[in-house]
Amino acid sequence: MSTDNNKLNIKTAQDIQNPKLTIDADVVVIGSGAGGAINAYELAKQGKKVVVLEAGPYVPSSEFKEMLAMAMGTLYQDEGGQSNTHGDVTVLQGACVGGSTVVNAALCFRTPDYFLNLWRDEHGLGNLTPERMSGYFDKIEKNLSIEPNARHETSIGADLILKGLNKLNIEPGIAKRNIRDCAMTGFCFSGCKTDRKQSMLVTYLPWACNHGAEIYADTRVTRIVTKNGQAAGVEAEVVDPKTKVVKTQVTVNAPIVVLAAGPVQSPIILQRSGIANSSGQVGKNFACHPSMSVTAMFEEKVDDFHGATHSLYVDTHTLPDEGGYILLNAVQEPVEASFQAEPGTGKNYVAYMEKYRNSIRLITLIHDKNVGEVRYTDGVKEILYEVDDHDFDAMKEGLKFNAKILFASGAKYLYLPTSDRTVINSVVEIDDVIDSLKNEPARYRYTSFHPQGTCRMGADPKTSVVNPYGETHDVKKLYISDASLLPTSIGYNPSETVYALSSYIADEIIKANFS
Amino acid sequence: MKDLIISRRHFIKNVAMIAASISALPAVNVIAGVLTDVSRMDDLERAVFAKMLKISLPTGDSTLVDPASLPVLPTIEGALLAGMAPNIRQGLRGGISYFNEGSLKAFGDRFINLNDADAIRFVDQWSASSAPPERALSMGIKKLTVLAYWAIPNTWGPLGYDGPVSDKWNLSSLGNTPEPTI
Repeated sequence: MSTDNNKLNIKTAQDIQNPKLTIDADVVVIGSGAGGAINAYELAKQGKKVVVLEAGPYVPSSEFKEMLAMAMGTLYQDEGGQSNTHGDVTVLQGACVGGSTVVNAALCFRTPDYFLNLWRDEHGLGNLTPERMSGYFDKIEKNLSIEPNARHETSIGADLILKGLNKLNIEPGIAKRNIRDCAMTGFCFSGCKTDRKQSMLVTYLPWACNHGAEIYADTRVTRIVTKNGQAAGVEAEVVDPKTKVVKTQVTVNAPIVVLAAGPVQSPIILQRSGIANSSGQVGKNFACHPSMSVTAMFEEKVDDFHGATHSLYVDTHTLPDEGGYILLNAVQEPVEASFQAEPGTGKNYVAYMEKYRNSIRLITLIHDKNVGEVRYTDGVKEILYEVDDHDFDAMKEGLKFNAKILFASGAKYLYLPTSDRTVINSVVEIDDVIDSLKNEPARYRYTSFHPQGTCRMGADPKTSVVNPYGETHDVKKLYISDASLLPTSIGYNPSETVYALSSYIADEIIKANFS
Repeated sequence: MKDLIISRRHFIKNVAMIAASISALPAVNVIAGVLTDVSRMDDLERAVFAKMLKISLPTGDSTLVDPASLPVLPTIEGALLAGMAPNIRQGLRGGISYFNEGSLKAFGDRFINLNDADAIRFVDQWSASSAPPERALSMGIKKLTVLAYWAIPNTWGPLGYDGPVSDKWNLSSLGNTPEPTI
């Protein structure tokens, strides 16, 4: 069946009344973010009956509020409260129809050849050569309108930072984003109300529905069912998003399962199902690109409220051999500014917020080692992760570079995102202040938008969960297609890597099953 | 004694986890669930949040909106606590109680009974503490409190922040992108 309605064919908890629901399909896809949506489209286009199960709610873009605090409550995993067990790394992920693609900043980078070569050499992924992947990047960039920012697609803060970069002779990077005719509201993290960001919500999901795919929102997969070492479907629950009460038990019978619930939920689903873990690697090798925002205060009002959420980056030190950090500008609304800096309690805090209009921020994000783990124990999810000492050194170097650029941009003083007041008043103080920082839990305010690892891809079944073609080593016809596959973190925003890898895996599924 | 040590270790671990849960909760849930007896604030929690709000935002000499004129505590309760998983919610009570008792040793009284100057000093001392749970609790409870304040749009005027713009700018939706033909 094929239509050109280009609309979502979607059911939510409100639409489902029966206590039990059984669905037969050719393919069941778990998750509707980048990995799930791309596979749903590519497989539905082959004439296969595809069912997509999304644990999060369906929120039409017309209902996006352009207020981050509210967006966290409706569009993000654990209402924005997902963190590591120390609570010092907030791990942000979309949890709605469209997944993280709805709430990311649309920044796109091709996977650096450095990492594709590393994955070939150390993980046996000789299939993911730069030449091979190039075709997938081309396809994704065309489908999602990934283009370099136009000259006007910037922000007041980015323009100030650009002046600093020019003064220091540092080469700026101009962001590529999956956006059509950006309206420059600066609300990427709250969802794009006018559908300019090319998230899965407005691209691959409606396209999949043109070919008969069905989407079930509010539907949480509890177990992947296997028979004779092969995927056979899933069990799931439809949960009322308001009361959290389970309304319906769902069984989907399908000979192909594509798990694309994201790097935190995918390993949990495998752990709950007790499958695909002969390597012992499910949930291991978690990385997350921890980032810190440096808040710069200017003498004059700058009003860095709107514009392109991200438009400028500096990647002169991003590959591991070069330093392992990247700098990204971002506009910031008051709610974020209210906790990204610690000016001290009381009047100092009031004075800081009164100068919100005088502030901009520049983010340091690091390429981190895969030292974390996602566990599901006694019904509770845990993300065990501490920033590695070597990675913290990279963060410190990145913060110094960041601070120098902000002072060159005209900042009068800077706040570091520490638990207690840490201010840098001039360029000469940068090294002393940052050298004194120690790698301690609950000392810094890290944010992660890029969880990765946890079901890594590799040729060796003893050290990886998924084979080079996306199928788990242990369970046939169970595929994984999300950022949990990445064998290492890549230092850059991984969205385009996931888009391209998912396209590749869809092709491999077609080749292995439908050719 | 051994049991006591183990129990203290468990407690500290739990405090760290509780601190973790509150330090990372920036959501104001528009589809917040029903407030049950389990999720509702008890008197102590209400007093701790009220004290934290008072000392964090002494707006008297500033242009900012007086927090006493805004529904900050109902925002914390109705928009945040109601949506919290029961185990986290239960743990949060313990964390807040631990925080409240934390000032007894150095300041001779519980947090809610301290004068404002001492309460500020206590919060800043714990933010700089060498003990991770103390840092996490201080940072987390404060974050939760100020966030609930700034999540209320009435607070934005004095900052010059104009809030949502798509409707104001009459931006039209581009709708779903046409499916590629190749």
